[in-house]
Amino acid sequence: MPEILRSPTGIAGAVLLSLVAVAVLAGSFVAPYDPQAFHPATRLTGPSAAHWLGTDQFGRDLLSRLLNGAPSTIGFGLGATLLGVGAGTVIGVIAGTAGGWVDSVIMRVLDGLLAVPELLFTLLIVTILGGGMGQAMLAVALAFTPGMARIARSSVLSIRTREYVLAAVARGEPGCYIVLREVLPNALGPIIVEATIRVSFAIMIGATLGFLGLGAQPPSTEWGLMVAEGRQFMFRNPWVVAVPGVAIALAALGFNLFGDALRDSLDPRRSVRG
Amino acid sequence: MSGAGEPGTPVLEVASYSLSYRTPSGPLEALKDVDLTVERGHTLGLVGESGSGKSSLAWSIMRYLPDNAVENDGRLSLLGEDLRACSPAEILEIRGSRIAMVFQDPGTSLNPTLRLGEQLAEVLMRHQGLTQQQAWAEGEAALARTGIARPADMMRRFPHEASGGEKQRVVIATAFACNPELIVFDEPTTALDTITAQQILELFGRLREETGVAALYISHDLGLVSRVAQDVAVINRGEIVESGPCAEVFRAPRRPYTRALLEAVPRPDQWLGTAPPDPAAPALLTAEGIRVEYGARSWLGRLLNPPAEAFLGAKDVGFAVRPGELLGIVGESGSGKSTMAKVLSGLQDFDGRVGFEGRGFQRRRAFDRAYRRAVQIVFQHPDASLNPRQRISEILSRPLKLYDIVPPERRAARVGELLEQVRLPADFAGRYPHQLSGGEKQRVAIARAFAAEPAVVICDEITAALDVSVQASVARLLVDLQRETGTACVFITHDLNLVRQLAHRIGVMNRGELVDMFDTAEADAPERHPYTRALLGAMPVPAAPETTDPLKERSLP
Repeated sequence: MPEILRSPTGIAGAVLLSLVAVAVLAGSFVAPYDPQAFHPATRLTGPSAAHWLGTDQFGRDLLSRLLNGAPSTIGFGLGATLLGVGAGTVIGVIAGTAGGWVDSVIMRVLDGLLAVPELLFTLLIVTILGGGMGQAMLAVALAFTPGMARIARSSVLSIRTREYVLAAVARGEPGCYIVLREVLPNALGPIIVEATIRVSFAIMIGATLGFLGLGAQPPSTEWGLMVAEGRQFMFRNPWVVAVPGVAIALAALGFNLFGDALRDSLDPRRSVRG
Repeated sequence: MSGAGEPGTPVLEVASYSLSYRTPSGPLEALKDVDLTVERGHTLGLVGESGSGKSSLAWSIMRYLPDNAVENDGRLSLLGEDLRACSPAEILEIRGSRIAMVFQDPGTSLNPTLRLGEQLAEVLMRHQGLTQQQAWAEGEAALARTGIARPADMMRRFPHEASGGEKQRVVIATAFACNPELIVFDEPTTALDTITAQQILELFGRLREETGVAALYISHDLGLVSRVAQDVAVINRGEIVESGPCAEVFRAPRRPYTRALLEAVPRPDQWLGTAPPDPAAPALLTAEGIRVEYGARSWLGRLLNPPAEAFLGAKDVGFAVRPGELLGIVGESGSGKSTMAKVLSGLQDFDGRVGFEGRGFQRRRAFDRAYRRAVQIVFQHPDASLNPRQRISEILSRPLKLYDIVPPERRAARVGELLEQVRLPADFAGRYPHQLSGGEKQRVAIARAFAAEPAVVICDEITAALDVSVQASVARLLVDLQRETGTACVFITHDLNLVRQLAHRIGVMNRGELVDMFDTAEADAPERHPYTRALLGAMPVPAAPETTDPLKERSLP
């Protein structure tokens, strides 16, 4: 999709995302050190020729830990978003197409859930389910579902009254054809864009959970956990916190910018004509 | 106050003005070498189809161009003062006090959170330095001049508490308030109903006489311009094709484009339709006592507020369509004509009975596939009626598949035939809707309706969103298809002149009721319903150009 690369935000997002993708796919292989190996002689150092991004309190190489932690951190964001978006879209499409009291009941319940802040909601679920990556991912997905359902529903509602959908109804098309072929392909744009942006939130919530000790457990190299572990040594060596913190920010920014650019290019009027 | 001068002094001069827009696919020329002069006390009508650059010109005069606009050359001057050389602060002074603008839709050009009076007084306070009380009093006087019965009352209302016509009167009063030298009207009656539009035009004429203001009147409607303007300029693709005194240009157009435009204006005396059907033939499709209630309330709502009445979209509407007939349904917005289209095509719940080929349907869910195949609908907006993510071939083959009209291996060929039937090249099958123009899209929508080989096609304002010339060709196409296939048609429109060219019988709807039904030939008969007569009176038939060649009639774009 070269259209997306025409805008500066699209380029910035794509560059950041390709960096993240390289880290996720090849990170463990190109890491210069074993991410768990202690080097007591070089504890809490800044960037140097030997350790490009410095070392942590055990002398572990930060670059290696960062590369090693990329798959779990990004995978967490993608997985949680995918689950949440999937569930939310199904619920939203059901509510949007059914209308009437089905719609009212579903949406009132979701409104109630939306009133609880996402992070608080996630914490609540994690408390019930217990700590760990799997549980945290499920919790984030559940926290995302109401918002995604609302977006999917509003998108479906705006499409449902378009004249081509009315034409299909007037023709007597079966309901599943109308939903799957006429409504959903046109309603998908906002959902995909929102999903892309939400990956960045998921990464940040995942990192927060790691930081609070409710997600990944030591000695995992999940980025949020890295920040949490380095917090005590922040004043002696800021690199311990800054390196994983900046990595989280850049990955989140990448998804966010990419999602923004995606929204523009997904408009069929713009993408085909060029 | 306004830079007086004798009538005939040029107020606005546009000289060899060119404008283009920077787009990702290169510069787009919007205006090419435009020359115009509007004299004091005169109205210049600027006529063009959508995309002709007429609104771009209005915005250049108002000095309100988007960032990607590039002014290449030329001069814009107001009483000799170069507008292009004015600083932004000077422009702010000129806007509203020396040049005013009236927009198309009063519903969106007024701020819904401010009282009408505040919006009117604001202009006076800003430009004439009046105090709030003076401005309010002056505003009342301005409103009184526009013929509003109780101006003081109207000043205190919010926009949603006034009708479209009243709102447009307020906008016009605001434009005239500071006694400007020039007023730019951008399609000021297009969003209004026919009868209201007529009143607004009369008001415009009266105020112009009183104030002697110069006006640039932008419109796509030639008939309308011939009524309000002394001079006319026809614009096509950014170029002024022809200009001169209205009477001259309309009587004897010199350029082929102007002629084609004039010939495309619907004239009731030029019959386009098919031969009338046998009046004794049994009705094909009937509506009997159709009643539609909008906003039907729950039992709780009825309990809490029993006297409130539901809004009726249709009240006891009944009519019959004969085989091969074209039945016109005419009405203003909100008259219930589109409600009837939705009832007949099974999109709207109703009370009453729809009869088709001897069978009766009492409710929407009773319509079966055979009925839905036999009664097809074409919608108003060509942009919205085709799924943007499906190719034309997929759009057209869907009814063929759904109703099993041709065997699967014949479908692609049938799509080609359908496209040719609506005068489109067969290779359009591979395109997406956004690669087509508005008129082409509407042809595809018509082809989709005819693909089902229906007995009746319901056309819901199918020409309303199209340019005049395209409108004429789509209307002709519909009649040709009717002639070829013998399909009956319910043609819903607000344009009486158009429907009188096509329909065998015309029904008139007003506020959900069918108030009149007559044979087209008897449209001018004295026994017509008063409302029908009011509609006819509000839509005078434009004069035809003198040397109309009947052979050219059918070869329009």
